[in-house]
Amino acid sequence: MTEEKTKSKNFTSILIPTSLYKKLEEKVKETEFSSVSSLVTHIIREYLAKLEEEKEVFSEEEEEEIKERLRALGYID
Amino acid sequence: MSEPKVLVIGLDAAPPELLFDAFLDELPNIKSLVENGIYGKMKSCVPPITIPAWMVMSTSKNPGKLGIYGFRHRKNYSYTDIWIANYQKIKEKTVWNILSEKGKRSIVIGVPPTYPPKPLNGYLISCFITPTNAKQYTYPPELKEEIEKVVGNYIFDIPFRTEERDKLLKGLYEMTEKRFKLIKYLLKNKKWDFFMFVEIGLDRVQHAFWKFFDPEHHLYEPHSKYSDAILNYYKCLDQQIEELLKIIPKNTKIVVVSDHGAKRMKGALCINEWLIKEGYLTLKKYPEQKIRLEKAEVDWKKTIAWGWGGYYARIFLNVEGREPQGIIKPEEYEDVRDELAEKIENIRGPSGEKLETKVIKPEEYYPEINGEPPDLMVFFDDLYWRSAGTIGHNTVYLPENDTGPDDAVHSQYGIHIIYDPNQNFGGKKIDIDILDVAPTILRLLEIEPPGDMEGKVVEGV
Repeated sequence: MTEEKTKSKNFTSILIPTSLYKKLEEKVKETEFSSVSSLVTHIIREYLAKLEEEKEVFSEEEEEEIKERLRALGYID
Repeated sequence: MSEPKVLVIGLDAAPPELLFDAFLDELPNIKSLVENGIYGKMKSCVPPITIPAWMVMSTSKNPGKLGIYGFRHRKNYSYTDIWIANYQKIKEKTVWNILSEKGKRSIVIGVPPTYPPKPLNGYLISCFITPTNAKQYTYPPELKEEIEKVVGNYIFDIPFRTEERDKLLKGLYEMTEKRFKLIKYLLKNKKWDFFMFVEIGLDRVQHAFWKFFDPEHHLYEPHSKYSDAILNYYKCLDQQIEELLKIIPKNTKIVVVSDHGAKRMKGALCINEWLIKEGYLTLKKYPEQKIRLEKAEVDWKKTIAWGWGGYYARIFLNVEGREPQGIIKPEEYEDVRDELAEKIENIRGPSGEKLETKVIKPEEYYPEINGEPPDLMVFFDDLYWRSAGTIGHNTVYLPENDTGPDDAVHSQYGIHIIYDPNQNFGGKKIDIDILDVAPTILRLLEIEPPGDMEGKVVEGV
């Protein structure tokens, strides 16, 4: 399968070593990803989400509000 | 042959006693799934609570492995600092994570906890722990705008502890209508192999209206205009399910599940009042009105143990070197814990009746322990009594909950129905474990479950 060339401004190209591309091309066959691009997009999104994970999920105010809600729902206290 | 598809309908807190025994004849669509499928009780995890139960189900990993024992957890053995369970704390792979790796598309709506959203190959709308609609509650982020075009202001949850029950019902139906409108929109307009949603409304309606229909409830109110409030909501869900069945592709396999059951509440047992009475918890000053323990003046240098409220009680020991002002010597820890566990197991009801209370030591119960579990987990009277953490009641027993009206508690057994349009199971009754759900879903999608899943594929699937 060859990667479709696109001129849409919503997409851009990145360069990766051909050997790596070939490995991914093999991997794609074992999945239902339509192309190496869609598999790589999925991998990059997961990577970026992992970086986000270091941050606190709730602000102090949000945490107080959620605690209040969880009390009202009977889950805590 | 076309690619297999699975739709999971999550009915939070649906108990077998209502869905299969009391109401089934009035729910023609669910009844048809039962009669042609496999169905039965589903043993929930310990604790049988929304968080962690839905994630135990979605990962086939026990709460100890997940390190999630409820909605909140202590931070670094602090007396008061806690963190709230959220999606980032879920490190094990869910069914949709596994499917994403295979390139299969999933749509996931309202599974607790899925806030903050994390990427998947598909779409995700977070659950009721989402702080507000102003937050980013979808994956991908652009989906949020699309949702708001379809249903306006999306509703995650409704507060149920209120005496304004007409208003509550109005809000409940509005929330459910929006959720199903959105589900139908996504079923029709997006590509998916796996679609899972959780309707939290069922749990809320049971908590708010149980005493109006169950003659065994200690606060039973007969001939109320709310007698059928719970049944009517089940009927509404059945009608909504009928509409889903009409629009899904014919080959879609259907799984209906709850995360735990529900039953009448007998009352609330004030765990900290009991610990004070028994000399385990010492206050500098007993409060004149009801307050939370974290607001009380606790004399930590004279305190051996304290507890948290909820559908089960969590007990913490004040251990030297672990807690900031710990007084139990590490070498005495096990003796103190055993003695306390035994005393708690022998707590009697308000009329001196025996309670079927179970006390668990987390590291003896779970095959693996992560996070910060409590020292003891207490299930009062097979969960009929909830735990109240507040103090200032001048009594150990409350006929109602300590933070607003609430008629129901959780029970250990939820439900499951597995329906495959290509195969008539003939209404075979098989009881399963909550850990069995994820591997069974994968098998229905013709994917081999990973070896580290703790459950097994339901027999016959």
